[in-house]
Amino acid sequence: MTTSTEAAVTQNTTGADRKGSALRGADGRPTEVAAFRDVSKDFGAVKAVHGSTFTLHPGETVAFLGPNGAGKSTSIDMLLGLKDPSAGRVTLFGGTPRQAIMDGRVGVMLQSGGLLPEVTVRELVGFACKVHPRGYAVDDVLKTAQILDLADRRVDKLSGGQEQRVRFALATAGDSDLIVLDEPTTGMDVNARQAFWSVMKAQADAGRTILFATHYLEEADAIADRVLVMHKGRLIADGTAAEIKARAGQRRISFDLHPQDGGDASLLSALPGITALDVSGHTVRISTSDADATMAAVYRAGLYPRGLEVTGVGLEQAFITITAEATAAEGN
Amino acid sequence: MSQLIRLEVLRVLRNRRYLFFTVVFPVMMFFFYASTNFGTESFNGVSPKTYYMVSMATFGTVGAALNTAMRIALERKSGWTRQLRLTALPGWAYVLSKVAAAGTVTLPAVLAVFAAGVAEGVHFPLATWLGMGLAVWAGGFVFSAAGVALGYAAAPDTVQPITMVSYMGMAFLGGSWFPLSGGLKTVGQYTPVYLYNELAKYPVNGVSVGASQVIGLAAYLAAFAALAAWLYQRDRKTV
Repeated sequence: MTTSTEAAVTQNTTGADRKGSALRGADGRPTEVAAFRDVSKDFGAVKAVHGSTFTLHPGETVAFLGPNGAGKSTSIDMLLGLKDPSAGRVTLFGGTPRQAIMDGRVGVMLQSGGLLPEVTVRELVGFACKVHPRGYAVDDVLKTAQILDLADRRVDKLSGGQEQRVRFALATAGDSDLIVLDEPTTGMDVNARQAFWSVMKAQADAGRTILFATHYLEEADAIADRVLVMHKGRLIADGTAAEIKARAGQRRISFDLHPQDGGDASLLSALPGITALDVSGHTVRISTSDADATMAAVYRAGLYPRGLEVTGVGLEQAFITITAEATAAEGN
Repeated sequence: MSQLIRLEVLRVLRNRRYLFFTVVFPVMMFFFYASTNFGTESFNGVSPKTYYMVSMATFGTVGAALNTAMRIALERKSGWTRQLRLTALPGWAYVLSKVAAAGTVTLPAVLAVFAAGVAEGVHFPLATWLGMGLAVWAGGFVFSAAGVALGYAAAPDTVQPITMVSYMGMAFLGGSWFPLSGGLKTVGQYTPVYLYNELAKYPVNGVSVGASQVIGLAAYLAAFAALAAWLYQRDRKTV
């Protein structure tokens, strides 16, 4: 892709180049894209974000997953410097969020980012390209966002889905290293959503770091290298989509072992499929990735479990599982 | 920065409602007054036609400046101001672009009313026209500052009635519709639009600048600007 104006930066930076340069700072040390260190945000008595710590690494595509009100938007606001944390520290590219934005390192698509009425799509996107320190040519941006056909339409005459694509164009108007999207597919139908993510994947393939908030588990699963799960202001899981799924797909087994029934309880830790074991008094709680094998082994070992309960969840209920665990942990 | 000003000017020039209230309406009102027989030679030392030409030019300018309030309130609500904070533009660029755009689009309003004045037989030396034009244009920034303050004061549905009431109230007390006398004048002579109208009529009698009007307007400008700065800071903390 070539650009039509001299001022614009060419858009064909290869992924390898960008990753290489983003991974190492000027002094050769590895750099981080963004870091939250024990960040909290209170609104009066409400703790919107509570002790959140994570680091985004160059080239990652990270999903911020959680139900409405989990603290995703507040976290994104703090990441971008729109809100100051009540406690803790937020850095973007090693400096303040504002500095990173001034340097043109961040492209942002807000959930309710306002668009300017009374101008055309081309004028609005062109403005974003020109104010970006490393802005692209407007036609290239419109093409990438697949809104070349809307270029001369007035911004106030667009449908909801079209508006989202214009917001996406604003977020990709320049050569940013990090793209932040707050629930980008809200209001899109299934087709529009798929088209959107294919465009987004191209951005990730170009080596950009991407952070997006969503409450769709499928999106996080299909797009993200890494998933951060938020619940009630806390970061309760941080892992690959596969890890989160495994955790959601697990069975929980609980039973009582009475000494008079005999058997050697120390065998428990050697059971197949087991991922967590908790014995308190007579009560045994097991998390397992294979409940059938685990229980068969329990009986083979000569144990006599009483009050056996096996609970499991489907993929769709990942949230419920993980968030319930978080709530239980909070109780302890 | 210049990009944002360009965009803002484009937007106001495309807004028909805006052009009606700042250009068409004042010109229509001027023609209405010009066709009225007031049976007097002089309103506060100038001819009725000159009086209304100036007060309609200032009326259009104040309208253009106060229109900023509604735009800022709407754009705060829509989230455009948030989006702008995520660009490399400094925070004050937004406010400055609004003031600059109001200052730019005021010119056609002033020129249109003055042209109507010429059509109705008002004639002055060039220096007087320039002096009047400059006074109307420069004085408009006082009301731009007020518009910015109003725009950050509240939500759009509150800002709209407040803006309309202040606009009409200030024009009434400023003697824009008829020359003030008695108790009305006692109060009105300290209001910003009154000072503005007086300042703009000064060149007619060959005096270049009215010192007391300039001081009065400068005081209003300082007060409105301070209020705008305070409300703007408050807004950035709560967004």
